[in-house]
Amino acid sequence: MLLRTSLTFAFATALLTLPIAAHAAGPQIDKSAPTFSATDADGKTVSLGDYRGKTVVLEWTNHDCPFVKKMYGGQAMQGLQKKWTEAGVVWLTVISSAPGEQGAVSPQDANRLTQERGASPSSVLLDTAGTIGKAYDARTTPQMFVITGEGTLVYQGAIDDKPTANLDDLKTAKNYVDAALTEVAASKAVSVKTSKPYGCSIKYAS
Amino acid sequence: MIRLFALLLLASAGIGSASAQGLKLPADLVKASLVAEPGAIRAGEPFTIGIRMVIRPHWHVYWRNPGDSGLPPEMAWSLPQGFSAGPIEWPTPSRIPVSHLLNFGFENEVVLLTQVTPSADLAPGRPVTLSGKLSYLVCERECVPGSADLKLSVPVAPEGSSAAPNPQNRALFASARDRLPTPSPWPSRLTRDGERLVVNLDAPGLKPDAINNAAFFPYAETAIEHAAEQRLSVDETGLRLSLSRSTYDDKVPTELPGVLTFDEVTPEGAQSRSYALGQAPPIQPAASVTAEATPVPAPQAAEPDLTLWSAAGLAFLGGIILNLMPCVFPVLSIKVLSLVRHSGEPPARVRLHGLAYTLGVLAMFLGLASVLIALKGAGAAIGWGYQLQSPLVVASLAYLLFAMGLSLSGVFHLGGGVAGIGDGLTRKPGLQGSFFTGVLATVVATPCTAPFMGSTVGFALTQPAGVALIVFASLGLGLALPFLVLTTWPAAVRRLPRPGAWMDTLKGAFAFPLYATVAWLIWVLAQQVGSTGLLAALVGLVLVGFAAWTWDKAQHAAPVGSIVGRGVAVAALVALAVLTVGLDRDRAEANVTMAAGSEAFTQNRLDTLLAQGKPVFVNMTAAWCITCQINERTALRTDAVQTALKTRGVTYLKGDWTNQNPEITRLLEQHGRNGVPLYLLYAGGKAPVVLPQILTQGAVLAALDTLPASERSAALKATPKR
Repeated sequence: MLLRTSLTFAFATALLTLPIAAHAAGPQIDKSAPTFSATDADGKTVSLGDYRGKTVVLEWTNHDCPFVKKMYGGQAMQGLQKKWTEAGVVWLTVISSAPGEQGAVSPQDANRLTQERGASPSSVLLDTAGTIGKAYDARTTPQMFVITGEGTLVYQGAIDDKPTANLDDLKTAKNYVDAALTEVAASKAVSVKTSKPYGCSIKYAS
Repeated sequence: MIRLFALLLLASAGIGSASAQGLKLPADLVKASLVAEPGAIRAGEPFTIGIRMVIRPHWHVYWRNPGDSGLPPEMAWSLPQGFSAGPIEWPTPSRIPVSHLLNFGFENEVVLLTQVTPSADLAPGRPVTLSGKLSYLVCERECVPGSADLKLSVPVAPEGSSAAPNPQNRALFASARDRLPTPSPWPSRLTRDGERLVVNLDAPGLKPDAINNAAFFPYAETAIEHAAEQRLSVDETGLRLSLSRSTYDDKVPTELPGVLTFDEVTPEGAQSRSYALGQAPPIQPAASVTAEATPVPAPQAAEPDLTLWSAAGLAFLGGIILNLMPCVFPVLSIKVLSLVRHSGEPPARVRLHGLAYTLGVLAMFLGLASVLIALKGAGAAIGWGYQLQSPLVVASLAYLLFAMGLSLSGVFHLGGGVAGIGDGLTRKPGLQGSFFTGVLATVVATPCTAPFMGSTVGFALTQPAGVALIVFASLGLGLALPFLVLTTWPAAVRRLPRPGAWMDTLKGAFAFPLYATVAWLIWVLAQQVGSTGLLAALVGLVLVGFAAWTWDKAQHAAPVGSIVGRGVAVAALVALAVLTVGLDRDRAEANVTMAAGSEAFTQNRLDTLLAQGKPVFVNMTAAWCITCQINERTALRTDAVQTALKTRGVTYLKGDWTNQNPEITRLLEQHGRNGVPLYLLYAGGKAPVVLPQILTQGAVLAALDTLPASERSAALKATPKR
């Protein structure tokens, strides 16, 4: 009896920890990006598979994070979204804040934020359970991923090379995502494929 | 008298903590300062300086490698000619988990040691000032970027004497050095184990079962998975710690410098070890070191002609006008009434009273200004009127004014005399009575200074501290002037009517402006706290009344009754204090009551509208700002203005500064203001037009008339003409 209970317990523990252990490695550059399916702020279901043939950008965000505020306050993120969605890129903004945590918003608030900030993502995904965030091993806001039309992950990391919350640094920053998207659009190999993501930690459920 | 002083203390304590209540300002989260190790320094002789950061419990700042998120603190030194500062010597960090991620940083307190070398030709005698700007990110689960201008004056030792350590700082530096990792006594190597990296410490002396809690902190930020398990094994050849390699770096490192920590059980007890393995690479500054953490554009003064002297002049005039404010006039009148009584005193003595009063006013104004300047210097985004952003201060002021009103109404008397509080002060034969009337006048004037003195005070606060203090002093002198004049020319006093029964009637009448001010303060409070808080504040008023009444009864009671009465009154005041402190816990959410046709201001919304080329009218207001309320009633909410806004397609953004709002503070500062109201009209992509602080419907309409009549004409303009 005791043995059976503890075996069940061990099995359950293994089940619970396994997926986490598998994810800890995170997505691999130049390999298939993890697939996902989520509900966006308009209530629609969005899957990575829907966008075969299109370049996809994943942007992790938290509107109250000072580093995100820098990107939006300086109109940098909006500019990038506009430039690339107009060029046919699919831009998915992902919010992985757990309910009650900083950055967690209702679908209505997510749409209001998009409108207020003059942002133009293709969709805003509400990843309240942190499933996509953990599948991609996303750690900070703003953290970025670029996935090609074939579903290959070609960039992961920071938005640019100035890990600060200082608006002035936007002027001198080298934007990694813009560079990667430009190279993908020209069918070239991405030169900077990874960088250390900077910013606020993503407020996953503890 | 003592009680009054206690009330004043209560009020000013509230002012001091205004920014600490429920607000996440970097200066409240991190108290940063500089500490020098020697008592005096000598030419060319290096010494150690500590950047001390005292951190709010549960919050943390970061190590040089911050882990999965965060930023290390950075110090941009501005040192005297010929001085140089070395790199920060980083103490051993802690592992700080956030959800499934991990940060490396410091909690509670950290001292970052740095070696400074003075110039070789430093002349002894005059002290030198070492300063710098510390930028940091402080996080709990949320993150707040902050910066602090740090300054330290260090004496220069006379020739022939040695630069001895300052004994006061010995403990601080000793404990800071204790926290530094020491060079490893054993060689270390890095080996690979599949996708794992193994740190090997060839330490044959370690007992396998005596080692636990091992952790490795690499200097490189993308070498390992920070949050992954670090597997420890110890045998007779040494210690191994197996780490999960990060996927961020393609290259497999051949060496991994960093800090290794573990606990070792020894016969003397558990010892914490911290060893530096390998050479620490120099740290790359993350960004423009000199730039501020929170960008504040250089203030463009709205009134460019506002020079120091005109600002001082305006402040002086404003101070004179303050005498007529409903919160000040009664207090002042009582003081003048007491002068009538003094008129038997020798003129020299009366003059001294005038000077003491002026001194009281100046002391309080300069005190308030210093607190404000210090808070701003520490990086807080606050402005004038900040006192009223704390419900504690608003409630304390309401109680103080209510108590004064009660004394004027004759509910209670101090010292058994016929006069109330205001008079209780002046009846004091000593000059401190006059001094405290000055202090009191300033305290009760604060609700009125904020709304009426916006632009001058705003100018003052964007200037260096010296200029700011001059402007504040002028304001104080203006407030003190009428009384000073009356006392300096005793002839003027003799002109005043003789004392008589009319004085009591006047006093009774003067109670009502005070009650009116109380009513207004409670209304302000109602915007700041929830309904529970409001009830607490109203019960507080009842307690003030009860304390006043029992105190008065006690004055006239037999000895025993007197003690009981005073005891009850004191108990009531203690209950009041407890209740008031509780107020702050019931903070209302920012509940701007949005009139139809207006939207809540956010910088984002403004930027978006401007980017779309739409005209925008911005109104920065606060519940406690009377001017703002009057302007809204008479000039903004009128049908004519609302229609004009609509027909011209102007978006009306309203910002509420009743509670702290750094975004609004920043916009105010950009226009050389440090208080509300501020009215801006943006149109045609040009710099906004700043409307006067006292608005008329005509002025608003005239400003709107300069805009094109509708979006239609804007659209026409956009079509190319052929």
